[in-house]
Amino acid sequence: MAAVPIVRVRDLFKIYRQGDLDVVALNGVSIDIEPREFVVLMGPSGSGKSTLLHIVAGIDRATRGAVSVQGIDVAALNESQLADWRNQNVGFVFQTFNLIPVLTARENVELPLLLTRMRGDERRRQVETALRLVGLDDRMHHRPDQLSGGQQQRVAIARALVTDPALIVADEPTGNLDAKSAADVLSILRILARDSGKTVIMVTHDPKAAAYGTRSLHLEKGEIVA
Amino acid sequence: MNLLGFIARNALRNRRRVLLTVSSVAVSCGVLVTLQTLQRELTVPPESEGASLRVIARNKVSIAQPLPARQLAVIERIPGIVAVSPFTFFGGLYADEKATGFAQFGIDPERFRGIMVEGRIVAGDYEGFVADRNGCMVGSDTVERYKLKVGDHMRFTGTFYPVDLDLRISAVFKGTVDDRGVFFHHKLLDAATDGGGTVGTWYMRVESAGVAPRVIAAVDKAFENSSAEVRTETERAFQMGFMSMLGDVKALTLSVSSVVVFTLMLVTMSTMSMAIRERFRELAVLKALGFRRRELFSFILAESFGLSFAGAVLGIAGTWLFWSSINLQKLTAGFLIYFEVTPRIMAMAGVVAALLGIVSAIAPAVAVARMSVVDGLKTID
Repeated sequence: MAAVPIVRVRDLFKIYRQGDLDVVALNGVSIDIEPREFVVLMGPSGSGKSTLLHIVAGIDRATRGAVSVQGIDVAALNESQLADWRNQNVGFVFQTFNLIPVLTARENVELPLLLTRMRGDERRRQVETALRLVGLDDRMHHRPDQLSGGQQQRVAIARALVTDPALIVADEPTGNLDAKSAADVLSILRILARDSGKTVIMVTHDPKAAAYGTRSLHLEKGEIVA
Repeated sequence: MNLLGFIARNALRNRRRVLLTVSSVAVSCGVLVTLQTLQRELTVPPESEGASLRVIARNKVSIAQPLPARQLAVIERIPGIVAVSPFTFFGGLYADEKATGFAQFGIDPERFRGIMVEGRIVAGDYEGFVADRNGCMVGSDTVERYKLKVGDHMRFTGTFYPVDLDLRISAVFKGTVDDRGVFFHHKLLDAATDGGGTVGTWYMRVESAGVAPRVIAAVDKAFENSSAEVRTETERAFQMGFMSMLGDVKALTLSVSSVVVFTLMLVTMSTMSMAIRERFRELAVLKALGFRRRELFSFILAESFGLSFAGAVLGIAGTWLFWSSINLQKLTAGFLIYFEVTPRIMAMAGVVAALLGIVSAIAPAVAVARMSVVDGLKTID
């Protein structure tokens, strides 16, 4: 029996208004993603892969169509519910790391937990576990400017992991990294999907990066072509 | 780390800007406190216990118009009046001064002792002043300022009256709200003005504060339809009227204060706008991580409020310390006596700064609240 999809997208449209023109970013996309999958979204610039990622992660809204994650209709949630839902269910990894420069690695990872009812010592334990998972427990008191690009991205992955979300979305996570650091980051994402039960959706242009995924989807002009 | 710590880290991330912002708010608050204190000094006369029992009658036409001395016999028969004395402003220049920072008044010493009840004689004696026609009673501040002593002479050149006075100090008083004045025998003025027959004002003491309104009405009525109608009022009301001759001090300080407050608002608004614009991307990341609009709104408000509050505390406390530590009476030749930075003025400046801190943050906070995560993430660092 096939597993119940963790992400179900049906007939998804995203249309932007640019002056008098309607720009179709997504044109009736439908996909199912199962738990523990490491799905790679590929395609040329403007193909709609990042838009699809953003809508699935609940940071953008579709023009029409349905998106459910773990059975929850994401489009039906209001702004406040959506914020809570993201905090509990989605981990984000961005191309430019997006760490807060005035905070240490540990404090950056702790940020999403400040929104929970967790006690300070529990938070500390969870943060240290997340940093250990990405191999940075010896760098937890360093600020982002004291870390290499690869280390910063690993801190960002720890931040994505710390609330124990079911879904991790990564938007070109290796775009700003050297080959060695990129391989480290991709390996961590693969381990998370394979061994930790996370579902990972990653956008990339890089075929080498795509090779780490369990499935690749190609988008062109807002449609899945392969 | 907790949320307060996170807000504090963000607020202090650009040390130079924080320093400049806090300094700007501090200086603006200092100017605001100083202006309000100046306004208070010039428009609110200091009050004393005896002030509530004293009333003054002046010519209804103008304070510059004298009153006939014969009115005394009528006034002292009015029930409720304990003592009454002529009280005439001489307006002389002391020694070679071009401007003199204390006033001189012609009085009847025998009658006056029942009026200025809160003062006490600290050198010489009042009986000596009563007995010496050329004697005078001088406030201790003036004695200290000019290094005078009992027996010394004080020479005044008349400006309103065509006469100069040479007075000998008989007594020094202290303990009134303004220990600067010089009081001398009204008879000297009478003699110098061909027998006199006129006084500047009548200074009275009433039995109790409760009878003051009745006494005021009775004095006014006593001279109704006479050649010298009077206007009687409490000492406080009289002083307020006198102060108004300085010009519309309130309007002036209010307009300058408004400019200060407006500048303060521009400073905090531009600072907060810059600080938030720099962090648009980070704030978008916080939204993506699950921070809600109201939380980001609160962060920005708290940050702006905190900076303004810190500036206000520094500015207000610094201004209070500054004005408390210098002898302004000496520096201004007696023009400003107390210049007291009251808790009320400090609280007002604090509230203004705090409100401006909040108001300044509203526009950037609303912009952040409305920003979509995707648009925020596209912002270039």
